[in-house]
Formats: sequence, structure tokens, C-alpha cells
Amino acid sequence: MSVSESETEVSARLEFEQAQRSEGWKLLRGLLRDQRRNLVIGGLIGMSWAAFKVAIPQVTKLAINDGIEKNGPLLKWALIIAGLGVLTGILSGFRRYVAFRESRWAETLLRERLFGHVLDLNIGYHDKAQTGQLMSRASSDLMQIQGFIVMIPITMSNVIQIFAVAAILFITDPVLALVAMAPLPFVNLSARRFSSRIHKITLAVQAEQAQLANVVEESVSGVRVVKGFGAEQVQFDKLEKEADDIYAESMKAAKIRSNFMPAIDILPALGAVGVLGVGGHRVLSGQISIGDLVAFNVYLTLLVWPLRNVGMIIALGQRAASALVRIHEVLSTKSEITDPPMARDLPSPNGKQLGAVKFDHVQFGYDADRPVLKNFNLEIAAGESIAIVGATASGKSTVARLLLRFYDTNNGHVYLDGVDVRKLKLRELRQQIGVVFEDTVLFNDSVKSNISFARPNASQADLEKAAKLAGAHDFILQLPNSYDTVIGERGFSLSGGQRQRIAIARAIISDPRVLVLDDATSAVDPSKEGEIRDAMRTVMSGRTTIVIAHRPGTIALASRVVFIDELTVAAIGKHEDLVATNARYREVLASMQNTAPDFLEELVK
Amino acid sequence: MWQAGGVSDEDRLSRAQARTILGRVFKMAAPFRRTMYVAFGCVMVTTATTLSAPVIVRHGIDAGIRARDTGALNLSVVMYLVVVSLTYVFGRMLFVFVNRTGESFLRLLRLAVFRQMQRQSMAFFDRNKAGVLVARMTADIESMSELVQWGLLQFLSAVLMLVFSIVVLLFLSWQLTIIALIVMPVLVFSSIKFQRDSNRAYLTVRERVGANLSALQEGITTVRVIQAYAQEDEVKSKFKVSNRSLFAAHEKSVRVSTWYFALVEFSGVLASALMIGIGGWFAHRGTVTLGTVVAFVLLLSSLFDPVQQLSQLYNTVQSAGAALNKLFAILDAKPEVDEHHSPVDLPRTGELKVSNISFTYAGAENQALDDVSIRVGVGEKLALVGPTGAGKSTLAKLMARLYDPQTGTVEFGGVNLTMASMTSLRERIAVVPQEGFLFNGTIRDNLRIARANATDAEIEAAIDAIGATEHFAQFSDGLDTQVRERGSRLSAGERQLVALARAALVDPAVLVLDEATSNLDPGTEAEVEHALERLMLGRTVIVVAHRLSTVQRADHIAVVVDAKIAEFGSHEELLARNGHYAELARAWVQSHSVN
Repeated sequence: MSVSESETEVSARLEFEQAQRSEGWKLLRGLLRDQRRNLVIGGLIGMSWAAFKVAIPQVTKLAINDGIEKNGPLLKWALIIAGLGVLTGILSGFRRYVAFRESRWAETLLRERLFGHVLDLNIGYHDKAQTGQLMSRASSDLMQIQGFIVMIPITMSNVIQIFAVAAILFITDPVLALVAMAPLPFVNLSARRFSSRIHKITLAVQAEQAQLANVVEESVSGVRVVKGFGAEQVQFDKLEKEADDIYAESMKAAKIRSNFMPAIDILPALGAVGVLGVGGHRVLSGQISIGDLVAFNVYLTLLVWPLRNVGMIIALGQRAASALVRIHEVLSTKSEITDPPMARDLPSPNGKQLGAVKFDHVQFGYDADRPVLKNFNLEIAAGESIAIVGATASGKSTVARLLLRFYDTNNGHVYLDGVDVRKLKLRELRQQIGVVFEDTVLFNDSVKSNISFARPNASQADLEKAAKLAGAHDFILQLPNSYDTVIGERGFSLSGGQRQRIAIARAIISDPRVLVLDDATSAVDPSKEGEIRDAMRTVMSGRTTIVIAHRPGTIALASRVVFIDELTVAAIGKHEDLVATNARYREVLASMQNTAPDFLEELVK
Repeated sequence: MWQAGGVSDEDRLSRAQARTILGRVFKMAAPFRRTMYVAFGCVMVTTATTLSAPVIVRHGIDAGIRARDTGALNLSVVMYLVVVSLTYVFGRMLFVFVNRTGESFLRLLRLAVFRQMQRQSMAFFDRNKAGVLVARMTADIESMSELVQWGLLQFLSAVLMLVFSIVVLLFLSWQLTIIALIVMPVLVFSSIKFQRDSNRAYLTVRERVGANLSALQEGITTVRVIQAYAQEDEVKSKFKVSNRSLFAAHEKSVRVSTWYFALVEFSGVLASALMIGIGGWFAHRGTVTLGTVVAFVLLLSSLFDPVQQLSQLYNTVQSAGAALNKLFAILDAKPEVDEHHSPVDLPRTGELKVSNISFTYAGAENQALDDVSIRVGVGEKLALVGPTGAGKSTLAKLMARLYDPQTGTVEFGGVNLTMASMTSLRERIAVVPQEGFLFNGTIRDNLRIARANATDAEIEAAIDAIGATEHFAQFSDGLDTQVRERGSRLSAGERQLVALARAALVDPAVLVLDEATSNLDPGTEAEVEHALERLMLGRTVIVVAHRLSTVQRADHIAVVVDAKIAEFGSHEELLARNGHYAELARAWVQSHSVN
């Protein structure tokens, strides 16, 4: 937001925010429409609860006037009151149950919708989106919304209660009612202001806490540096500053609480003072009974909670509105990569070798003004294996991403078996391409589910076949629960090489036409490199394979080398020929070798 | 609010533990004890005034209205007003003082725990995962802030309110007090049962919230794999299962609370009914006045509310106790490597001499070093090589006193490192870890990690000493460039340069290096290499080496195998010796060309 906005800018911004807000509310209405029936039931329960609740002091008044003062039947009154107690008890329990259940249900459904939508969004979106942001949409924003929905039935009954009590008081004695209720609107006002001000400061406290967490985190993760240089005091000073900030913000919050909380408590009491003063004199002059006076006092206390709640729900509503806007923003983002309206089919095998890939005059950049590939042409015959070589950040991995249609080209076409990838259903295209990513991403799940990820209904035999091809079967059998062993963060931890082999098995289980190996050896203990290469060699045979090489050793796996330099294909040919003829190729190769791994690891083997 | 805390069974404290913790808290709170007393005084006043209100109303009704005494009525009104004003004034003070006490305590706790954490030696950080330590300093301490902000206050006023109410009620009429208390046991027992049940339900909810968030996060972070294999629908339906089971847990926990809230509501009304029935009968008989019955009806809530409030606090207090217990465990941890009580400064320069040291990591079965001796003369360069886990890094760490050996000594210039002052130790021997670890802040701030009081000129001199002045001058903000979280603004090579400049700023006699194994971009690779050479010039260097080129340049090479030094000598000597070093050095040269 600029510091000095012109009036038109301000009004345009306000209009925009207004529009956003109404979109947010529309989202909420849509959610609640499906739960209409239960919410109405909840509202009805709440209203009847309010009616009985309001009736109790009336009955108490009658009991005092008729039962105690005039020596009437006490047991009858006591039973009536107790009966009302049973009713309000049951109704209040149900009101609570319905409110919470419905709000949780709405939250649950919205979370599923959000997650589903995010999963479908194109990779370009995910490159820019921060995981933390999306997580907070699906957790804290949803919590705000849930917190608002839960208040809906409660608020309905509160409003009814306020009106009913006000009506009774005015019917009993309009003057006294005015005296008693005069301070009450301030309760509502204070509660509303308190809620919004304390929310702001709470966020500030949380921000300070996050900063303190950062200091602790870096001191612990960087403990070698801290210890190595004796920087304990430096870090302590940083922490002390953050602790002081937290203290300062928390005390601001305390100030706000001290400004509002006692006031909110005291305002109804002022009404009660008025009732005693004015009401007492009116009893003396015979205008009302003592029972009325007592009832007035009781009714006043009945008004305090509803008024506070109504004040709170306004602030809650504002927060929920912003949360709704943020969620709507995600839900209304359209994926840039979608299925074509009239999808074509891939040619079926009919005994032929399939998996021909063609890049035709492709131009692409992650930012439109900074191309990564330009006039990029490449033809890979079905069943052929090629290695892509290039300097760091030369666009090697981009080639695979374009083939997978993670991104669309800015210009030019990518074909699989003669069909433009944009003309294919995403699912059909991607099922025909098996990828092993450079950073092996496995799921916190069993080995079995990880390998069969691309084909959830694969048989055990298929599973083992893929694992054997990838050279993973033997070590999997050694795991505590063999194929059912849960791996990952919360499970059994595998070595880099083992993870790679599982990733390779996952890539081939659905027998894809094209295999992309984004150097599967780069994260592996050097002594295991050979084994991975063997596994790669096995799975490559008879399949179109694109190897993206980060290490010299991997190049030898492919029959041809595609050398990418200066945004395009600089040379294609056999490795030996390129070494012999291309100086730049030798240079890039040398830099790969220079960072080759630790030879000393292999000592004493 | 009703599910504020959540304590698992293993976190539940024994009564003795609770008592010790309480004692320590009070000891820690000593510096602001006066604030605490003022806060307590305020609670007493507000409780008294809150309770006196119905008594005044009773007086107004009995002595004023029923006795038709206008003067008495007016007096009650004025008294009521005074009491209300007092409640307000002391209520405000109360909030400020209670919060000041609580927040001061939390601040003190943060500082004390962090200081103690920082004093711990490396072994402590090996044992405790980073995440756990961060959680101690954040989640555990924050879990108490709820207690500090309103819990403490509510606890105090609820207890006082309960006690005072009973006193006042007894004073008004002991007969009616007994009637009012009839409902109490039911309320107390059901509150306790409810807290137990809801705690259990809450733990399930918390566990499933965690699982659900993990599923969510896994889905978002692995979206590339999911889309690459076109498995969006399968992942979605899996998430649905976890999401629905979270809903079921929420639903269960609401159901637990449903009957309780119904019962609470009912028992309040029931008490009024009893009061009307039995109290009215007493009034008929003249045992009590009508005003007393009315006062009782009005006072019932001040009897029941505190019970509810206390039961709500039960879990909050429990979880705060559990958190404190964990925090005190850190405060009690003794650092293994600590400064000697009468330390001496290390000489400016000298030979580094390791004599017969043995070392085993805590909890490890095998020795990491077994009776190792080695000497490095002034200005000599020693390369430590060997397979992972053989002990080469451990040896380097012991030579910088990041750990102390169990037996044997490490001496610098004839002084045992365990006798040396920490300041002189860090000034003489600097450690440069493998990865250039950067802290939040500017490049300049990151250099000051090594010497907090370094002047700008000294910092620039250090950058110059490693020949990186030009490189950082390219940045628009120069040395004041913010490196962002973990130095993400800089490349790996640039981070390494900052790490080396740090060491240059200390200007140590001995440099302990852990050579980087990861790839650097070819551009900065040369610069880092160059900076390293300048830094090593004229210093004693111990390098945990990973590259042949580094090893070749060292004066001595120690091949560490199975916790012992297997071979020792220069590159040429070792090649001539034809041991495994020679064999593998040759094999390496062959295997790293393209085959």
C-alpha cells in the first residue's frame, strides 16, 4: 500500500476489498447451505433454551412472591424450577453439540476441497507458493472460520435471549428497565473493541515469539559455529532482545486486558446499583414487588454473557472474513496446465517399440523474460537412451519437466509418439513417463505403497519384479517387515542408495514408455554409485531413457550425449567424439570431475 | 477454553515432583516477589468487594425496603457504588500486576534456559535433536503463557471466591449454606470426571491434528512426484481418510463435553429450586429472613462458578507443570566441557600435542578414538583422512576442545586445553565447519559471530585477508547485505567465504577445517580455494580432508582407521610405503575418469 493514495485509488482499493469480501462470504454461504437443516435445528434448540432460561427468573420471582411472601405451596414452585433446570440443561448440551459438530464438519469439508484444489494446481504455482502459507490456509485460517461457524447457533439463541429479557424487564417496569439496561450497550461495545484490539496484539506477540524461535533454531543448528568461535554471548544477547520484545508486547496485551476486562465486569453491576436505588424506592412507593426487584437483578446477570458474546462474534466475523478471502484466493486460482477439451489418444503398441520423443523449436523460461531453452530441437527414437550434459543451471532438468508437462513451452512443441503433449490427457501422458527425481522424494509409508505409488493395484508379483529390476528386492527382504516396512521420517531410515533404488522401482512399475533419470547417483555414497548404475542399466534396456547427468560416470549409460550450452543443443554425439572435438564440453566435464566425491571414503575396503 | 491443556499420562507429575517444581518457581520469582504480593493483595480486595455486593443488596432489602427506612436504603446504594468502584480500580491493577509477575517469570525462564543450553557441550547437542530443543524454548514456555495471562489470576480468584463465599454464606445462614452445598459433590465429581475424559479425547484430537497436518504437508511438498505419476486422486482420497478420522475425534470430544455442560446448567438451577423450596420453608418458619433467601439465590453462582473454573484450570496447570519439569531438566544439565575454575590463557603460539587420547561418544558402544598420539608443529599442515566413522572428525574436534577426551591430554604450547580459559582457547584455535553456516542478519553481523566487538575496519581487513573484498563489493549493500534465513540470499560458495572470513577475523594460531564435500558452482569454487590458501598461510592447520589435491599439499597425512592412526607421513612417503593409502590414491585417479 503506498503512503499517499489518491482518492480514486483509495476507493478502487476499498471496492476491490469489498468485492473480495463478498466473494469470501459467498464461499461461506455455499458451505453452510449444505448443512442448512442441522444448523436450523441447532438454532431452534438454542432458541428454546433461551426461552426456558429466561423463564426461570420469572418463575423464581413468582415463587418468592407467591410461595415465600404469601406462604404459598413451596414444593410446587421448587419442582417447576427443577423441571425447567432439566430442560435447559438438556437443551444447552445439545446446542453445544450441534454447534461444534456442524462447524467441524464445515471445516473438514473445506479442508478437503482446499487440499484437492492445491494438488491440482500446476507446478509453476507451487514454485512460487510457500508451503508454510498453504499450510496456514488449511490450518489457522480454517480454524478462524470454524470458530465463527460454531458461534452461529449460540449467537442466535443469545440474540433471542437479549430480546426476551429486555421485553420482560420493560413489561415489568419500563423506568427501572431503562435504569438497569443503560450501561449494557457498553458491554457489547467494549467486548467488540477488546476482541479486535487483543487480536492485533496477540498476532504481534506471536510474531515476536517466532523471532525468538529463529534465534534458538539457528543457535542450535549452528552450534558448531557458536562453539567454534565462542559466540555464546552474541547469541544470548540476540535472545535477550527477543525475550524483551516478547515481554514488552505481552505487557501491552495485559494493558489492553486491564482496560477492558474489569470494565466489562463492572458495567452490569452499575445497572444493579441503579436497580437497588431506583427500584428500592419504587418498592417503597408500592409500584413493584420485592420479587420484581430480585428478578431484575437476576435478569441483569442473564444479559451479561449474551451481550459479551454478541460483541465477540462481530470481531470473530471480521477475522473469519479475512480468512475466507484468503481461502477463496487459493480456491479461485485456476491451474494453468489442464486437460485439453478434445483429448487425443496415444498410439497403441501393436508390437511396435513406442516412446519416441521430439522437441521442436522449443522456447521456454520460468520467467518469460529469462529464457532457459531457446530454439531447442531434439529427437529421441523409441527405445533409445540419451544423456543430457550441461553446466549447472543450464536447463538439463527443464527438458524432462517440459516432457512431463509440468510447464508448457512458450513457443514450439513437445511430442510423445507423434502426439503434441498438450493434446493428451495429463493422466495418460504422465502414466507413460517414469521419473526418478534428483532429490529422491519418498513418502512416509510402507515400501510397498512407495513402489506401487504409480500403480496402486499392482500385484505382489509385479511389485517384486520392479524391485528386482531396480536392484532393491534383496535389501527390502532384509528390512524388519520386508515390503511392509514403513520408511521415511517416522519410520525406518534407508541409505541414499536404497532410497534411489526404491525410486527407480517406482518409476518402472507401470512400465512407462519413457524413463527419465535425473541423475540418480548424485545423492549416493560413492561406493554405492556402481550398484545404482547397474540398476539403471538394467531398467533402461529396451526403453526410451533420458539420463540427466550430474556426474561423469553416469554419461556412459547412454548411447548418445546431448550437450546443452547457451540455452540450446550445442552438440549431439558419442561421448568420445565430443571429448575429442568440443573444448567447451571438456570444460563442463572437468568442472563435474572437480567436484567428484571423496576418494578417501573407499579406503580400507 | 475447556480443552486448554492436554497432558499425556507419561507427562503427569507425581505429587513430590509438583512440590519441588513449585518451590523452584518461587525461588526463581524472588526478584519480583513484591509485584507478586501486590497482585495477591489486589485479588483479595476484588474478591471481597465482589462478594460484598449481594450482602449489601440484602441489607438494602431487609433494612431499607422491608423496614421502610429510606435512609438505610440510600446508604446501601452508596455503599454498593463504592464497592463497585473499588472492584474496578483494583481489578485493573490486578491485571497489570499479575501479568507483570507472570511475564517477568517467563522472560527469566527463557533467558535462564537458553543460557544453560548454550553452556552445554557438543555432546548435549548430539543427544538432543534440534527440534526438541527449539520446542523447549518455544512451545513449552509458551504453553505456560495461558496460565500466566489469565489462568493464574483465575486460579487465585476462584479459590478465594470459593472460600470467601462459604464464609459469607455461613455468616448469613448456616442452614441455607448446607442446602446450597448439597449440589456441590455432584458438581465436583462430574467436573473431575469430565476433565479426565476430555483430556483423553483432547489427546486423540491433538494426535490426529498432527497426523492430518503431516499428511497435508507431505501432499504439498511432494506435489511434483504426485503429479508426475498422475496420482492426485489417490492421494486426495487418502487424505480424506485422515481428515475424516480427525473429524471423528473432534466429534467424540464434543460428545464428552455435552453431558457435562448439561449437568452444570441443571445443577445451578436445581440449587435455586432447593433454595426456594427449603429456604422458603425456613422463611415461613421465621428461621431466616426473606432477604437472606434472596441473597442466597443471588450468591449461588459465586459458589458454583469457581468450582467450574478450577476444574477448567486443572489441565492447564498440569501441562504447565509438565513443561516446567522438562525445562528444569535442562537447567540442571551439567556441561561436560566447562571452563576450569582457575583458567590460564594459552600462549600466543606453540605446538599442538595430542598424547594417548581415547574417546567414546556418550551412548556409543565402540571407541571413536583409541589411544591416539600426534604432534603438529607451529605452522605445519596436517591432513586427516580415512573412511566415514573411523574417527578423523572426532580427532579434529578434540584438538579444538569441542569434546574432552576420557583419557589422555591435548596440549597447546605446553598447556592442557582443559586448563585453558575459553576465551583464549577460541582465540587461538578456530574451527571452520564443513558448510558455511550463516545466521540471520547482515554479512557483517555474521562475521561478528566470531568477535562481537570487532570494528568495521577489522571486519573489512578480515574480508580483505581472504581476498574477498571485491566479491562482496559487487552486492548493492556490500557487507550490510541481509543474508536472509540460513544465508539463502548467498550461494554455497559465498557462504563458505563468509565462514572463512570469520576465521580470519579471529586470526587464530591454529585452524581446524572440515573440508566441504558438496559441490560448489565452478565460479566461486576457485575463489574459495584461493581464500582458503591465504587463510592457511603461516598457521598451524588441521584439515579433515576429502580431496586428493588438499591431501597432497599437507605436510603430514594421518590415515585414521578404526579409531587409530594407521599410517602417518607425507604424501610421497606414504606413496612410497605402498600401504592402502598409496593403493587407493592410485585407484581414485583411474575411477574418476569416464569409463
